[in-house]
Amino acid sequence: MLASRVFSLVGRRSISTSLCLRAHGHAGVVKAEDYTLPAYVDRRDVPLPEVAFVRDLSAQQRALKEKEKASWSALSVDEKVELYRIKFNETYAEMNKGTNEWKTVLGGVLFFLGLTGLVLIWQKHFMYGPVPHTFSDEWVSAQTKRMLDMRVNPVQGITAQWDFDKNEWKK
Amino acid sequence: MANHSQLNFQDASSPIMEELMGFHDHALMVALAICSLVLYLLTTTLTGKLSSNTVDAQVIELVWTILPAMVLVMLALPSLRILYMMDEINEPDLTLKAIGHQWYWSYEYTDLKDLTFDSYMIPTTDLPMGHFRLLEVDHRVVVPVNSTIRVIVTADDVLHSWAVPTLGVKTDAVPGRLNQTSFLTPRPGVFYGQCSEICGANHSFMPIVVESTPLPNFEGWSTSMSS
Repeated sequence: MLASRVFSLVGRRSISTSLCLRAHGHAGVVKAEDYTLPAYVDRRDVPLPEVAFVRDLSAQQRALKEKEKASWSALSVDEKVELYRIKFNETYAEMNKGTNEWKTVLGGVLFFLGLTGLVLIWQKHFMYGPVPHTFSDEWVSAQTKRMLDMRVNPVQGITAQWDFDKNEWKK
Repeated sequence: MANHSQLNFQDASSPIMEELMGFHDHALMVALAICSLVLYLLTTTLTGKLSSNTVDAQVIELVWTILPAMVLVMLALPSLRILYMMDEINEPDLTLKAIGHQWYWSYEYTDLKDLTFDSYMIPTTDLPMGHFRLLEVDHRVVVPVNSTIRVIVTADDVLHSWAVPTLGVKTDAVPGRLNQTSFLTPRPGVFYGQCSEICGANHSFMPIVVESTPLPNFEGWSTSMSS
């Protein structure tokens, strides 16, 4: 009873796997379902992909491949292009061709920057209170004088920028 | 203390901080070199000037394993040197205890007499003209100049951290634990720091102020404080 159940499970698994295998590979184009297998890739910095673009050749393409084994000067331009298209998906020109995506990206970035700006303006107007009184010019100058009197950061910092003889900032 | 919008370190007020600043310069140069290399490789890849059709690359794999290992050694050696330097036996002239509470520090100078006091931040509303907002305290930690000071840091309730950047000191205050740090100030001055471990609502409002002054002044202060 158990053995027959196991067998039916295994049988169902093998049928579904073979169905998957039969479903793919019809277009003659490599599809990398399994990323551990060699795959085709269009990349400028990987000029020689691991497999050819077209895996399953039609009869016509197979004949052309046979012709390729002879002298290449016998091939017409169209045949050479066809051989290229068997090996590769895009040409370098097609790969390098730009899109208009940058306009969308830039537009989106500027839009959200603007939105953030509006949020900040709203916050400043409706939400935040006044800054502390220690930010007033009078306080900041008294504070700076106190920092110089205390010799804060005298090596390369603020006190090092002050000329104590002439009572002014160093030029 | 730092200037407004200051990005770099404050000037060092202790020898350890000088060492740390030197190491930081060194580490930053290493980082700059690595970032430049990465930026260069990235640029060459994206402009199509760098491509690869290699499948088996033993030599370059060896190179880019050995080279980073050497970089790490170049970073580790100066770092460990300073780490051990911080823990050298230095026979401190004065030991004081810094105890963190919510939300103030208390200090105990118990070497010769029982001097204990609390150090609360001066609220902004009570600040005298020209004083530093959120940094001033009512009782400063006074230490004699050019003397090795040992600080034992602990806490009474939750985690705090006793930090004074210009002295190169940051020591966590852990309840039930005594952590030791030491510093030496070659020049007199007033050095500011802030609690550096989140400890509740007023974590930003329990600063530390160390005042380094010649020994006679320190003794006068100590006498007036204990009376």
